[in-house]
Amino acid sequence: MNLRRLLRPLRSRFLFLIPVAPALLVACNKEDAQSTFGTSGPIANTQADLFIFIFWIAVAVFVLVEGALIYSIVKFRRRGSDDSLPDQTHGNNKLEVIWTIIPVLILIAIAVPTVKIIYDQDGWPTDQGPVLEVKVRAHQWWWEIEYPGEDVVTANEIRIPVGQWVNFSMHSDDVIHSFWVPKLAGKMDIVPGDVRELAMKADEAGFYFGQCAEFCGEAHAKMRFRVKAEEPAAFQDWLASMRRPPVELASTDAIDGQKIFATNCATCHSVNTWQAPAARNERTRLAGLRETFLLDQDLADEDRVNLIAAPNLTHFATRETLGAGLIDLTQENLEQWIADPDAVKEGNRMKDLAAPYRDGTLTPGDVRQLAAYLLELEPVAAGTATVTPGPDTPLKRGEATFAANCSGCHSTGDDIVFGPGLAGISNRGEEAYIRESIEDPGAFVVPDFSNAMPGNFGTLFSIEEIDELIVYLKSL
Amino acid sequence: MTTIAFPTLISRPTSYTGLWSWIGTVDHKRIGTLYGVTAFLYFLVGGVEALILRAQLAQAESDLISPELFNELFTMHGTTMVFLVVMPMSAAFFNWMIPLMIGARDVAFPRLNAFSYWTFLFGSIFLNLSFFLGGAPDAGWFGYANLTGNTYSPGDGVTFWALGLTTLGVASLAAAFNFVVTILNMRAPGMGLMKMPVFVWMSLVTSILIALAMPIIAVALIQLALDRVWDTNFFNPAAGGDPVLWQHLFWLFGHPEVYILILPAMGIVSETLPVFSKKPLFGYPAVVLAGAIIGFMGWFVWSHHMFTVGLGPAANAAFAVSTMLIAVPTGVKIFNWIATTWGGKLQLNTSMLFSLGFIAMFIIGGLSGVSHASPPTDAQQQDTYYIVAHFHYVLFGGAIFGLFAGGYYWWPKMTGKKLGEALGQWHFWVMLVGFNLTFGPMHWLGLNGMPRRIATYADGMGWEMSNAIASAGSMLIAFGVLLFIINIIRTISSTQESEDDPWDARTLEWSIPSPPPAYNFARIPQVKSLDDFWYTKHPDLLHDERGEEIEVGEPVENDTHGGGSIHLPGMSYYPFITSLGVTIGVAGFMDILVEVPGTNIQFPWLSAVGIVIGLWGLMGWTFEPVSEEGGH
Amino acid sequence: MAQAAVTQNQHGHIADTNTGISNRKLLMWVFLASDCLFFGSFIATYLVYRNESLVGPYPNEVLNIPVTSVSTFVLLMSSLAMVLALNYAQKDRAGLARFWLLAVAALGLVFLGFQVVEFMTFVDEGLTIHQNLFGTTFFILTGFHGLHVFVGVLWLLGMAFAHFKGALTSRSTEDLEMAGLYWHFVDIVWIVIFTVIYLIGFSDGEGIETISHATAIIGG
Repeated sequence: MNLRRLLRPLRSRFLFLIPVAPALLVACNKEDAQSTFGTSGPIANTQADLFIFIFWIAVAVFVLVEGALIYSIVKFRRRGSDDSLPDQTHGNNKLEVIWTIIPVLILIAIAVPTVKIIYDQDGWPTDQGPVLEVKVRAHQWWWEIEYPGEDVVTANEIRIPVGQWVNFSMHSDDVIHSFWVPKLAGKMDIVPGDVRELAMKADEAGFYFGQCAEFCGEAHAKMRFRVKAEEPAAFQDWLASMRRPPVELASTDAIDGQKIFATNCATCHSVNTWQAPAARNERTRLAGLRETFLLDQDLADEDRVNLIAAPNLTHFATRETLGAGLIDLTQENLEQWIADPDAVKEGNRMKDLAAPYRDGTLTPGDVRQLAAYLLELEPVAAGTATVTPGPDTPLKRGEATFAANCSGCHSTGDDIVFGPGLAGISNRGEEAYIRESIEDPGAFVVPDFSNAMPGNFGTLFSIEEIDELIVYLKSL
Repeated sequence: MTTIAFPTLISRPTSYTGLWSWIGTVDHKRIGTLYGVTAFLYFLVGGVEALILRAQLAQAESDLISPELFNELFTMHGTTMVFLVVMPMSAAFFNWMIPLMIGARDVAFPRLNAFSYWTFLFGSIFLNLSFFLGGAPDAGWFGYANLTGNTYSPGDGVTFWALGLTTLGVASLAAAFNFVVTILNMRAPGMGLMKMPVFVWMSLVTSILIALAMPIIAVALIQLALDRVWDTNFFNPAAGGDPVLWQHLFWLFGHPEVYILILPAMGIVSETLPVFSKKPLFGYPAVVLAGAIIGFMGWFVWSHHMFTVGLGPAANAAFAVSTMLIAVPTGVKIFNWIATTWGGKLQLNTSMLFSLGFIAMFIIGGLSGVSHASPPTDAQQQDTYYIVAHFHYVLFGGAIFGLFAGGYYWWPKMTGKKLGEALGQWHFWVMLVGFNLTFGPMHWLGLNGMPRRIATYADGMGWEMSNAIASAGSMLIAFGVLLFIINIIRTISSTQESEDDPWDARTLEWSIPSPPPAYNFARIPQVKSLDDFWYTKHPDLLHDERGEEIEVGEPVENDTHGGGSIHLPGMSYYPFITSLGVTIGVAGFMDILVEVPGTNIQFPWLSAVGIVIGLWGLMGWTFEPVSEEGGH
Repeated sequence: MAQAAVTQNQHGHIADTNTGISNRKLLMWVFLASDCLFFGSFIATYLVYRNESLVGPYPNEVLNIPVTSVSTFVLLMSSLAMVLALNYAQKDRAGLARFWLLAVAALGLVFLGFQVVEFMTFVDEGLTIHQNLFGTTFFILTGFHGLHVFVGVLWLLGMAFAHFKGALTSRSTEDLEMAGLYWHFVDIVWIVIFTVIYLIGFSDGEGIETISHATAIIGG
């Protein structure tokens, strides 16, 4: 057979590789900010490894099957005007069995590690030190962050210590969002009315990019965030700094900006959660916003008032980005944002709802002064001010609630008083399990216990008290 | 039949030409043409929507269109391509080919068939009217609750979506019922189930899937519409409602829907491959069985769309395994198709190229599918462009290529003329290159962390080049479609007639003139074996490789004069009127309720108007005789 | 609508199809299979949201089992009447067939009457479709069932007046058979709904946990 004649059709048949080739060339750069390769934590590492494993199996299958197809096309194409009929084969049962069994075997090879990893990645290993609890509340289109054990509140930039497991307990106050930091872990949806948990660990310090991955409305594309993993000591310093008061304002612009902020912005944006109880104050403030806005005649009938929520700005100048991980925090960007937030992030509600925008009273001077003020919002250096002593944390308050209401029946160890001991309860189930066990004790009853727990805790305790109780229980 | 005279008010259409004859037609071939033309027009609409999306995404930080418009366009692109293109285009082929392939003169219920088409048309127009009446739906084709609630989606867009799709569901259901009955009941004598062409088999499986899956999405859409219009609590978390319920209902429908979209195309290539390989389909029973198993197993994999919802490890593991299992029958099909070409004499015309392109692209889509059948890897891929790449390889490289293969294959059957071959080859190659340019790089985009459904993206994420290539590729696809349109126009204006059986094909539709007469078969064919028609043309092949004789039925005579006693159902306007009533009835549930005085009941008055029109149509339909006395 | 079967084959036998079941009857079976999924989805929704209402009224506060048992009995009897109607139609006794047909419709209307009264009572007691998840799922599920019964009644009445004036034809008997299939189906669906909402869930309510506590303590 003449080789050139055999190859001639191949030239055109393989044309489609030409577009694929550049695609391969621009392929993944591990260094890219949201690449799912070049990962930096056990969860994402394992996920990437599993993908690579499946990928090479797929490549092998691809080459064999597409190869067979292309070979068949080239080899058996009709030549000239050959009108004779080929052999009429109808099938072959042996072949059918073979090409049923081989894929089954390949898929078993993929299914076994898949199932193992699913269970491995549920929760976090208990033998690697304490886990840091971080609460995430997703809003259209930003992230509220709380460290319940530390009573620290912030937004859009999450700091975590390198080498420690972090468990994100996630709520949504509006629609479904999805929490995704590709370098650290695959995503987890956040469903309103429920709690979702996602554990991960960063192996290296870094500024990791995250983004909402579930379509959540107009500004979905701009609901981004950052995770800053730093050495444990630096992380502890940061936590402490978040509980210190801000430095004294230096520039006159900032001092004027503070006044503008107080009258125009402070209803929605808090800069004071360095004071305890930070989390409780922040929740109360956000929950009250709607009522506050409904008092406004212009907005009384507006549906969008239901959606109002605004990020905390305490020690704002210590952040590196602005607008939910959108742009670098610089004077220029900040001024642009304040002057016309819609131009930076179309869909956000500040321009819609905040009085200075509705009334058109914000002057360029105001904008400059506000930016100057926000860029001076930094905590005082350690030791220069009285550090709020032993913060009144949710953990502490949860402990007190427990002592007063629960310790009669439950020990915090393994021993049985009347109800089961609660040591290590966070390993028995997700937060939702603990919550439901408090609010509806009949829902899950530990074997060998009859349910004698009062059913009215759900109404006896406030939402905050139950939250705090859970924080405490999870620390056991 | 009836003993009372019913004042029908309008007389039935009598002329077989002109606009009114199309409105009154009950001929499955004409209805098939209506479906095909409408679906192709929507293909252009959905394509233009996609081109605008790609233009916006061609570069970083682009603000060509607002995020609001972007969200409307991707919602309508998905909705249009699924419900207004692939499904009705498949229905076009079902309508045209099922009766011809099983040797029947029409479908079981010709007027119900007309009703299906008109309801589809009105429903689709209603859905698209939203663009001009205050904004199109913008919550995604999957419409995840509770973003679709009034609080987060004010305006009427999502209500248009819910009610429009409900109407389309009625149309699909009516069509599916009709095809199930037609296929089960109206096959030519001797055509046992295992002697049916594979396309008919896949149509049967598809129709059963529609009949069972559509009610589920209808319930979800009704619940959504009620939440929006009557303030019920189905998906309202504030009242304890669970948005995840929507996802379960949607995907319980949505996954069978994926097979509703792909099985017809699989049926088409199962016809074209043997014809253009000059060999019987390899492993006919295996291909049929695999199709049926896919249709069955398609019900047990829905939660693989929800691996990141947080259903827990047990659910994720179970659905991962069931999802991987469904790859097995899919693989069986692919292997049998390749084996069909093996040892054949492949005629690489446009239809065959699209069929082979279908297999080649579908393999890629299937393999990428396995990688997100595994929840740990899916956790990274879910809701990224990797998924967009995957399902376009399945539904564009798969379903659309398969439909093009069917278009080129059956064009001479439907019109009596062949589509131009030279332009056809260009069409295929431009399309194949453009397709891979557009969707190939999206694999990398997804793995590189680009989420779906984002209206814009920041500079410096490493997504610029791939997006630019994808956008350029989309222009090439558009050019390919343009070539196809030119081909159609040139073919229509050409005078070159095709033979009745230009491909030396295997199935009964080719045993009659092209285009077929109104009554299809002058004499109902007798069938003794699979590919009966082929063996009547090739009597020398009447033994299989085991040396057993293959039986054939009596050769079919195309004696048009013998058709004198054929009774065809008469034309009727009532399906059209009933459809109008149904659509108005559903559409009337929009936000135009009036309060009944003295109560707090919101009365959908326009629905009442629709119901009256619908009842009039239905009564006319019931009491109008099927055909005029001594009808034609 | 059976014209196709008639035109399809030269002999004009309605039942002359591949399956032996006439096209129209097969259509009805396929429709009913489809309708199963329709009700199935609503019933599943009801079950998912059982005991999930955040505010009352709860089922144990409003459901009236004795009254609904009566209406259920009425609906069951309508199925019996349907069997009789078909029986007489097949024996070519048009008058009796028509009588029982009207009886089916009448019993259906009685059932609907019960439902209207029940709905109004519930609304008076504060249960509406907006009130809570129970209200939403209850009214919409039973409402769609009521709608099915209503369509059935219209169909039966239409048939009673249109056919059955003179002698019966095989076609009108088949019409009756199809209506019968539909009617029995709607009846069976009601039995499922009655079981799910009334028999299993009658005691669902706010105090349910307290009750289970008491049982647990007494029992343990």
